Amino acid sequence: MEQLLNPYYLQIAMFMMINAMLGVSIYFTLATGQLSLGNAGFMSVGAYISALLTLKAGLPIYLAIPAGGMGACLLAAVIGIPATRLQGIYLAIATLGFGEVVRVVILNMKITNGALGLSGIPSMSVSISKWVAALGYGQGIAGLTLQQIGNIAVIILLTLMVVFLVFFAVRLRNSRMGRAFAAIKADEHAAEVSGVNTTRYKLLAFFLGAFVAGLAGGLAAHITFYIGPKDFSYHRAVEILLFAVLGGGNVVWGPLLGSAILTTLPEILRSVAEYREMIYGGILVLMMTFRPQGLISEETIRFWQSKLKASDETAATQGKAEPARRSAD
Amino acid sequence: MLILENVSKNFGGLAALAGISFQTNKGEILGVIGPNGAGKTTLFNLITGVLSPSQGKIIYRDTSLIGVSPHKITEMGIARTFQNIRLFGDMTVLENVMVGAHCRTKAGLWHGLWRTKAQQAEEKTIRDKAYEVLDLMGILPESGALAGALPYGKQRRLEIARALATEPELVLLDEPAAGMNESETEDLRLLIGKIKKLGKTVILIEHDMHLMMNVCERFVVLNFGKKIAEGGSAEIQENPEVIEAYLGKEDA
Repeated sequence: MEQLLNPYYLQIAMFMMINAMLGVSIYFTLATGQLSLGNAGFMSVGAYISALLTLKAGLPIYLAIPAGGMGACLLAAVIGIPATRLQGIYLAIATLGFGEVVRVVILNMKITNGALGLSGIPSMSVSISKWVAALGYGQGIAGLTLQQIGNIAVIILLTLMVVFLVFFAVRLRNSRMGRAFAAIKADEHAAEVSGVNTTRYKLLAFFLGAFVAGLAGGLAAHITFYIGPKDFSYHRAVEILLFAVLGGGNVVWGPLLGSAILTTLPEILRSVAEYREMIYGGILVLMMTFRPQGLISEETIRFWQSKLKASDETAATQGKAEPARRSAD
Repeated sequence: MLILENVSKNFGGLAALAGISFQTNKGEILGVIGPNGAGKTTLFNLITGVLSPSQGKIIYRDTSLIGVSPHKITEMGIARTFQNIRLFGDMTVLENVMVGAHCRTKAGLWHGLWRTKAQQAEEKTIRDKAYEVLDLMGILPESGALAGALPYGKQRRLEIARALATEPELVLLDEPAAGMNESETEDLRLLIGKIKKLGKTVILIEHDMHLMMNVCERFVVLNFGKKIAEGGSAEIQENPEVIEAYLGKEDA
């Protein structure tokens, strides 16, 4: 227990949740068949807006983080209108370029403190523990220190957000809008002629992805106390893409699983750190060769659904058979 | 209902359509025939807003369709199918048809997220409607299957079902009998009859002349982008220009 609660593991749990959110953010754009690699850019915008609002304007964290998400969303409106006219690989290149532009702008602005980055960003867990102390629990609760309480509260908060996002994504998929998304992904032209406003839905997906990425950025900033332009480089964009490639981009569970694996893997592989990149590369090559649709595909979901249904039915028939046997006795 | 006035479409220097004028009467089945490359599919692309004409007017129920985006035109009541089938392959048959009903529904993100009463009622309405259309097209038993897994003939029917789900007044069918055998074509003839019975107007492009002569009341004949004849089956069959387009010129 004591070991589980050590700050190192708690931090990994937090990053896992942040990455899960990023996984959901790339799922939203992928749901309409758009491969956007701009999520790292939107994440940095969210992170910097939120950090600056708390540092320079003294805004409370709980207002600054959503503001970061909104800021990312606004920027998505500016670049989304031209960008969503692009298809496939062209959109990927344009959004990757966008991410680099954002990084270079941040690198050269005074307010963002250039390459040095921003430090001393108010921490979520510290402010939660301060708040708990103010309630009169200065000694901690149930043997947990204030710091642990703060960290656990942040993890719970992040988990709730991820749960909500997944719930949102699943409900979306099974609604009229989700069908429109899926139709655009399958055949944009046929979707348009079938009466779906494809431009509007592609933009909506782009906005959703940007907002969630911005939100994740804001949250990350208030977990790590420090952000710099290096945190949101090309590598981050590719990392988010890998969540979808490894886990599968067709259902929301895919990027979620991908993000969980790719967050824990570096920790597990710590002992062979020199070979880490090689192992990553190997995994990707194997994935592309043997399972290009990712670990979880729509078929996987259908398979398990029918399996669960079947076991439900056998349970039900056994339940019915039982009393009959008893009466025969 | 639909009026084309002097419509032309140029691709670079090539005139795919030149000065086409005709109109449809409500409730009729109008056949568009002509040799390959005559501009038949281009005509459909112009009507559905996929392409915009270089010249001329396209008017549907007193509203110009020029510059209107395709989904809006579908919403206005014009639906189409494609010469090369374009279904949403990894969605179910039912979902494909429900996408067709998209423009007749309005539940937003919020309603979808919380499954509000209004959204549930709307979903039920379009699901029932989708089943109805699938039944009409005779593919109700396949409603749960993936569209891409259907045999060819049923994919054609599903495409028509999806088009009907948009609640059109005017249905454009682009070579629906292509690749079908005789009995499938006969089934198709009955289906087109059913569509007419629903009170819809149909414009049909097809090369199967037997089918065309059976179902169409009137014809527009295109050749090299020009309208060479218009009228009933007897009229166009006797038209020397039509005979020439199909059979070539008699040697003098």
